[in-house]
Amino acid sequence: MPITPSNSAAVLAAVQQARAQNSPLQPIGGGTSLNFGLQSNAAVQQVSLAQLNRIVDYPARDMTITVEAGITMQRLTATLAKEGQRLPVDVPQGDRATIGGVIATNWNGYRRFGQGQLRDFVIGIEAVDGNGLLFHGGGRVVKNVAGYDFCKLLTGSFGTLGIITQVTLKVRPLPERSAWLACNVSDAKKAEAMLAALQQSAVTPAAIELVSGSAWQKQPALAELNLTPNGFALLVLLEGTTTEVLWMKDQLRREWREAGIVNPFMQDGCGEPWPAVQEFSADLDSPLTVQASVTPSGVLPFVAACRLRDPACSVLAHAGNGSVFVRFAKFPEKGLSELLMGDLQPAAAAHHGHVVILNAPPGSAITHRSVWGGEAPLAQMSAVKKKFDPLNLLNRGRFVYV
Amino acid sequence: MQSIPSPSAPTLTRLADALRRAIGAENVLTARSDLMVYECDGFVIEKNSPDIVVFPRSTADVVKIVKLCNADGVPFVPRGAGTSLAGGCLPIGGGVMIVLMRLNRILEINYRDRYALVEPGVVNVHLTNALKGSGYHYAPDPSSQGACTIGGNVATNSGGPHTLKYGVTVNHVLGIEAVMADGTVIQVGGPAEDPLGLDLVGAMVGSEGTLGVVTKVWVKLTRNPQGWRTMLAIFESCDDATQAISEIIGAGIVPAALEMMDQGILVAIEAAFSFGFPLDAQAILLIEVDGLDAGLDQQRDQIVELCKKCKAREVRLAKDEKERLKLWKCRKQAFGAIGRLSPSYCTQDGVVPRTQLPHIQRKITEISAKYDIKIVNVFHAGDGNIHPILLFDERDPAQVERVLHASNEILDACLACGGSVTGEHGIGVEKIHFMEKMFSPDDLQAMDNLRKAFNPTGRLSPMKMLPTAGGCGMEQKHPGRRAAL
Repeated sequence: MPITPSNSAAVLAAVQQARAQNSPLQPIGGGTSLNFGLQSNAAVQQVSLAQLNRIVDYPARDMTITVEAGITMQRLTATLAKEGQRLPVDVPQGDRATIGGVIATNWNGYRRFGQGQLRDFVIGIEAVDGNGLLFHGGGRVVKNVAGYDFCKLLTGSFGTLGIITQVTLKVRPLPERSAWLACNVSDAKKAEAMLAALQQSAVTPAAIELVSGSAWQKQPALAELNLTPNGFALLVLLEGTTTEVLWMKDQLRREWREAGIVNPFMQDGCGEPWPAVQEFSADLDSPLTVQASVTPSGVLPFVAACRLRDPACSVLAHAGNGSVFVRFAKFPEKGLSELLMGDLQPAAAAHHGHVVILNAPPGSAITHRSVWGGEAPLAQMSAVKKKFDPLNLLNRGRFVYV
Repeated sequence: MQSIPSPSAPTLTRLADALRRAIGAENVLTARSDLMVYECDGFVIEKNSPDIVVFPRSTADVVKIVKLCNADGVPFVPRGAGTSLAGGCLPIGGGVMIVLMRLNRILEINYRDRYALVEPGVVNVHLTNALKGSGYHYAPDPSSQGACTIGGNVATNSGGPHTLKYGVTVNHVLGIEAVMADGTVIQVGGPAEDPLGLDLVGAMVGSEGTLGVVTKVWVKLTRNPQGWRTMLAIFESCDDATQAISEIIGAGIVPAALEMMDQGILVAIEAAFSFGFPLDAQAILLIEVDGLDAGLDQQRDQIVELCKKCKAREVRLAKDEKERLKLWKCRKQAFGAIGRLSPSYCTQDGVVPRTQLPHIQRKITEISAKYDIKIVNVFHAGDGNIHPILLFDERDPAQVERVLHASNEILDACLACGGSVTGEHGIGVEKIHFMEKMFSPDDLQAMDNLRKAFNPTGRLSPMKMLPTAGGCGMEQKHPGRRAAL
């Protein structure tokens, strides 16, 4: 049974008890990322943050909000929408995923291209570390350089330095209008040319998505594009005032026409396929889902490496940022570590990146090195871990430390 | 707390010789007259001379310097252009100052992947100049951008007027190469986003030189906006101007920049630049929106309307690019114009929630009257980042005393309404005593733990940022002009 603290003090008490007994803890929000990286050990005591779900302070005119870590993304989004605002981070399974979990796993959605990364929006944080310190960083103002930036340090720390209990976020106004434009791109070479051209385009997209594979061939919203098995579709999301969005639609159409795209497909609003884009990585039908973080120019080479191993894989890339999600159609015959070490990690490393596993069958044999094998100063990261959690209680054995 | 003994004269002589052999005699300064240049940065109230100043020309040089300092137990502190306003480069306890100005090459510019790789001594504006004509720029634009370096910007997580829309330095740093306190070299992050493992880039940016000596920086490049609309809104009272700021932000408009200047500073700027500012106005807002041309007129009209609603006397529009640049020149060189107002000045740096701007502005007026210290204001209003400038004469100890009290009271008022004591200048040595007001003992313990994971001996940048930063046994070796405190 998970421990279910209902405030920070109770989280602190749970950590103190774990310290006394030297027994590890696994912080858990909505439980949507338990297969992220190295799989969790079912025997470890869980600390559920579900009951820390209050909105602490929402001064909407300051465009900041302070919430407890266990609030779901769905409720956070609805709260902000009432004031015409949003946190422009798009998260799958928003009815379960919590803001604490999203921050711990550094989840970034498709709007990162136009709106920035999750880490840019976290301006205050509270957590309990493995020493039993309830500590804070940042504050409730949008600009602040007092002290070390724990907001950044804890974003993406996987709950291994501290259990996040409360955060303050900077928020943005909701756009007046959104629309998307999609086109069929015959092959990888053409796709790279179009992505490079988008960098120089006069339009300022909110998202640049490159998709391919059977998951997208089956997507009704993209039926008009007649995607071929090896083809790609480019989906561009435009947001802004009505005048801006209408201008961008016309402009992008002009640019694409010059690039030889005859019939781009467009639609107002944020209906299909954007929910499919948002939920792509959470699909559990695939036996294996990975995420690569590479330079933008490394997106297509990485996709090519994946297709060599599994021609039937489906791909979604936040192509403007170099974030690539691949859902494999079949589990690799020679095992996960061989796939990662043999092909995927080197393919990502060639473009300054690395690969993490988002979902794999329970019990898959994977090694620490194959999951966290990228280039990074792991010894320095481990030194930080030892200072924040000397007994190695928090999410033991799941993260990069050596 | 750790105490670092001040190095002895024989140790320093031996170290200086070793440094000359390691990186070349032409890159080492030890003469008293040479060292005086480095006894303070933009924070002039405390001064202390380093014992040795070195100018590395490569990462390997920095490694040699750090290892030699460690071998002799001598503290060392990195420095860029020395424009810090919080004493981040003050060499407390003397020791070796590592000046990174000669590491000043732009190593790579990659437009497809939108990054540049630069050495820490590259002057901020030199990068933007190198990008001219490409359609890209480097977004963080501190007012000192003509002098300050990217390495220094990384150390202090610098801001600037356009950070309102584009974010501060940390939002634009992809990766760092740094020499750690023990002389090992690490690379955190790099050309790609979302690097593996902990976000040590995020931890190191803004760490004020206490976690490592930065030797390379991968920065993001930002597309130039298609167009601008730059406005000057003139108000009869500061209250009306701050109210207008609150209305604009509250309406969901994100200007590229939203700056306020009060009458005190306008007089000085007008005398220096003859822009044609109305000298009877109590406050002026400099507002810029940028982005797609298609949307700019609508945003401009909305802003004009909100300003008028808040009783703006007049809203002028910059009629062309030349006038726009002149307006920005006035704003960015405002600090230079202050010399016309008084012999010395102290720029404060506080942050309040944006809706609290009218309140804090009234507090500043009260504090100015209470201590009989003239205070003028020019600040990043859109972020709630205030910069009251306290005018005084450094030669009068009573005035200096009153300036310090008034500064403290302003910052206390920022904290009382939920703000911070620094938005972009840093803690340095100036604001160490505020850390205990802003953070709990547990917060400070966690910060100390982070520092020890990087800098266990405390020899790198001692006595900065944290009240627990060690070195309590150190004495000032060269009191020099250490005035006032």
